[in-house]
Amino acid sequence: MEIEICPGAEIGSGLVADPGLPADLSKRTFLRAASLLAAGLLLPQARAEETARIVAGSGHKVLLVIVGGVRHDESFSPDGLVNIPHLSADLLPQSLLYRHVRNEGVTAHFNAISSILTGNWQHVDDWGNLAPTTPTLFEQFRKGLGADKSNTWVVASNKALTSLIGASSDSNYGPAYGANVVFPKQLMLTAVVDALRGGRTANMADRSKVEAELESAMAGSNYEGLGWNVFDAADRLDPRVRSTIQNAIASFVRGGGPTSGDELTFFMSREVMRKFAPQVLVVVFSDVEVAHFGSYAMHMAGIRTADRLAYQLWQEVEANPEYKGKTTMAILPEFGRDPDGSSTNGFFNHRANTDSTRDTWMMALGAGIDKPQIIERPIHHIDLCPTLAGLLGCPRMDEQGRAIAEISG
Amino acid sequence: MREKDKLPENLQNALSNGLLKRLPITFLPFVNQQLNQWDHLFPNERQSIERLLLYVADLSSEQSADLFRDVVEIEEKMGVRQWEFSTTEQTIQNSSLLARSPYFQDWRRAVQAVYDAADSHALKTSGAAVKPENRLVLLDIPLPLPADAASVWRRWQGIGQPMKLDLGLSSGKASALELLLTGIPNADGGRSGGLLDAARSRSDASSADAWVIDAGRSLVDAALGQESSTTNAAKAILLSNGRLDLYRQSFSHEMNTMHKDLADADAVFDRLRKVDVTPWCPAEVAEEPAVREFLRSLYLTGNGAVIYGNSFVEWAASEAFHRARPSFLAAQFGVRSKPKPFTGVAVFDNPDQVNPLPAVDDLPGSAVDAQMLALYVWLAAYRYQEYQSSTVCVCLAESLSQAYVVAPREFTLWQETEPVTLDRLHHALRAWIT
Repeated sequence: MEIEICPGAEIGSGLVADPGLPADLSKRTFLRAASLLAAGLLLPQARAEETARIVAGSGHKVLLVIVGGVRHDESFSPDGLVNIPHLSADLLPQSLLYRHVRNEGVTAHFNAISSILTGNWQHVDDWGNLAPTTPTLFEQFRKGLGADKSNTWVVASNKALTSLIGASSDSNYGPAYGANVVFPKQLMLTAVVDALRGGRTANMADRSKVEAELESAMAGSNYEGLGWNVFDAADRLDPRVRSTIQNAIASFVRGGGPTSGDELTFFMSREVMRKFAPQVLVVVFSDVEVAHFGSYAMHMAGIRTADRLAYQLWQEVEANPEYKGKTTMAILPEFGRDPDGSSTNGFFNHRANTDSTRDTWMMALGAGIDKPQIIERPIHHIDLCPTLAGLLGCPRMDEQGRAIAEISG
Repeated sequence: MREKDKLPENLQNALSNGLLKRLPITFLPFVNQQLNQWDHLFPNERQSIERLLLYVADLSSEQSADLFRDVVEIEEKMGVRQWEFSTTEQTIQNSSLLARSPYFQDWRRAVQAVYDAADSHALKTSGAAVKPENRLVLLDIPLPLPADAASVWRRWQGIGQPMKLDLGLSSGKASALELLLTGIPNADGGRSGGLLDAARSRSDASSADAWVIDAGRSLVDAALGQESSTTNAAKAILLSNGRLDLYRQSFSHEMNTMHKDLADADAVFDRLRKVDVTPWCPAEVAEEPAVREFLRSLYLTGNGAVIYGNSFVEWAASEAFHRARPSFLAAQFGVRSKPKPFTGVAVFDNPDQVNPLPAVDDLPGSAVDAQMLALYVWLAAYRYQEYQSSTVCVCLAESLSQAYVVAPREFTLWQETEPVTLDRLHHALRAWIT
């Protein structure tokens, strides 16, 4: 008998039934735009704050979107396409789709993501207590090309991650070359818990007061209490980071839309893109992990949310001059999920040694893509890091993964 | 106070003679935990561990070394002896260490081979074959859940077939499953004997042989209100998510409180293993140590049992098949609420106390969940040999007046094309299990 616990399993979720297609789209869009305007967040104003950026290496930018565990059955399969309308219809015509991307490592969150980010299968602690043992893409980029820390970011919903995902334990690299790591969902959790402890729970049901609770949680915990690692030399948050977070919160709360952890991660990622325009941005969505609690409907809603948010990130790439024309975006799940009828309880978990769990897919689009096509040849999760490092112009590393031929800029 | 059950004498003797020293280190957490919790094991679990240990005890030291050679070699490669590996009980750290080893899959295969050898030996020597008794799995997606006619049975992939139902008799508050379990009212104002009563009264029925699992409480309330017609009827195990509110909320509260004080997950779980849960249990659970501990284990192993009623039903049924191999199991799904904005992301004792927004039922979402989880219940049963040849599974979708039937050809309603009344279904199922 095994202990049926998934590191980082999400308890409860802010998911809502498909929030992607509100009936009154025009009104919703107008209200959202109005709220953004009120928050001073519309793009031109944000851009006005920008200063000249130092570009490292090739000048190429990479946006890596990692989604939790998603099976082929619920995504790129005849029955699953309904859950990914944006990926399968809006983005596919301009993308490379790898139909078989193998995770041959540990199919748990921290190890899966750190394998993707390092190009080597990682076998470290599943709970994020140990850093990956070989250099991450961030370290390769920063040490190899002298890039600034503000040029590499991880924004993640998954609670199994810790700030150790941003840098390896390799003594030649390590945190000095690591990425900024931000967990917006942890901020939201902290705000809710603080409100509960302070007897202010009604505030968390009142959209107008939620923003204050979130900002209060951030002030009380600073970033260390949230597990973040942002410009790590500072005792307090860098003012630029603080305003980035506040803008993201305002956009998240006042937008009138759904309130899941992934939504906040999206808003935070978009603010980071607008404020810092990093060359390496990794976004991890995990609403789909509500599957651990057995709601298939909410799991599928999580897939639809990730599909929509990934598309919105691409729209931001296209609309943002800092990114347009020089960015490659890749989207892939960490792994699949266990097959129906498995002894590990099917879609709830991701532990079975089966294709359903190990065989996933990846889409890539943008500047690094020569021509859209669907590729049946299997590749591996660990092939992505050397591929993206190549796009950035990083010196070659000795890695288990091999660069993917079709993505070369 | 119930007297504690003792280990069988031959097993106790084998243990006294140093049996455990012959087991590989990775076997010890499970074996020790089972032996320490003997009083809380179901008959099937006792037989299973007994079979393994007595098999090993009968082997010469060379034979047992042969049996475990692959496991021991893999443990060496894994470096298990260098780990902080508990040998007294299963821990999260143990599982994590094993799962992230590159040799994990090899280890699983090697362990399975040992169990297969023990089972095969038992079959040859003691005739421990599966009893050829008719079994019944009854599932209900009740009326409030709007099952989708186009997709409701798609994932069953033709392993059985849909059957039309005429549910005219089931008007009123009782679900169709409740009527099947407790008896259908007849024209004389009486009531036919229910399936639960029939299952409990079988001559070969033993403890843990009949289970009723309810996402709400009405089904179990009805079962509790029914006296068995046979004085020596076996007790049914009755699990109601609604009646377990206090257990679930107290357990969840303990878990959340401990998370703030204890750094690692194993410390939290260790505390939760020792908490006295009896005061949180409804009477039908409090009096049965094995059931109390079954629930503790169920809540500790996750899979949504603490959070959602339908997940509780699915996981409890799956674990019942896994651990107890009941010959009768009835399960009813229910309605969950939509997550509340903002607070829905956190761990809470009771979301309704934390967030003053009213709970809103998610009927379509609950139906989607129930459709998938009903299939999972059947697939969980079908993993075991006991359910592969003489089991009828009927899944009711009341909103569609349909059922899906997986059954051997001997079942009278196999391939029935005309609408079947609840009374007729009841008679056919009763005939199947008696």
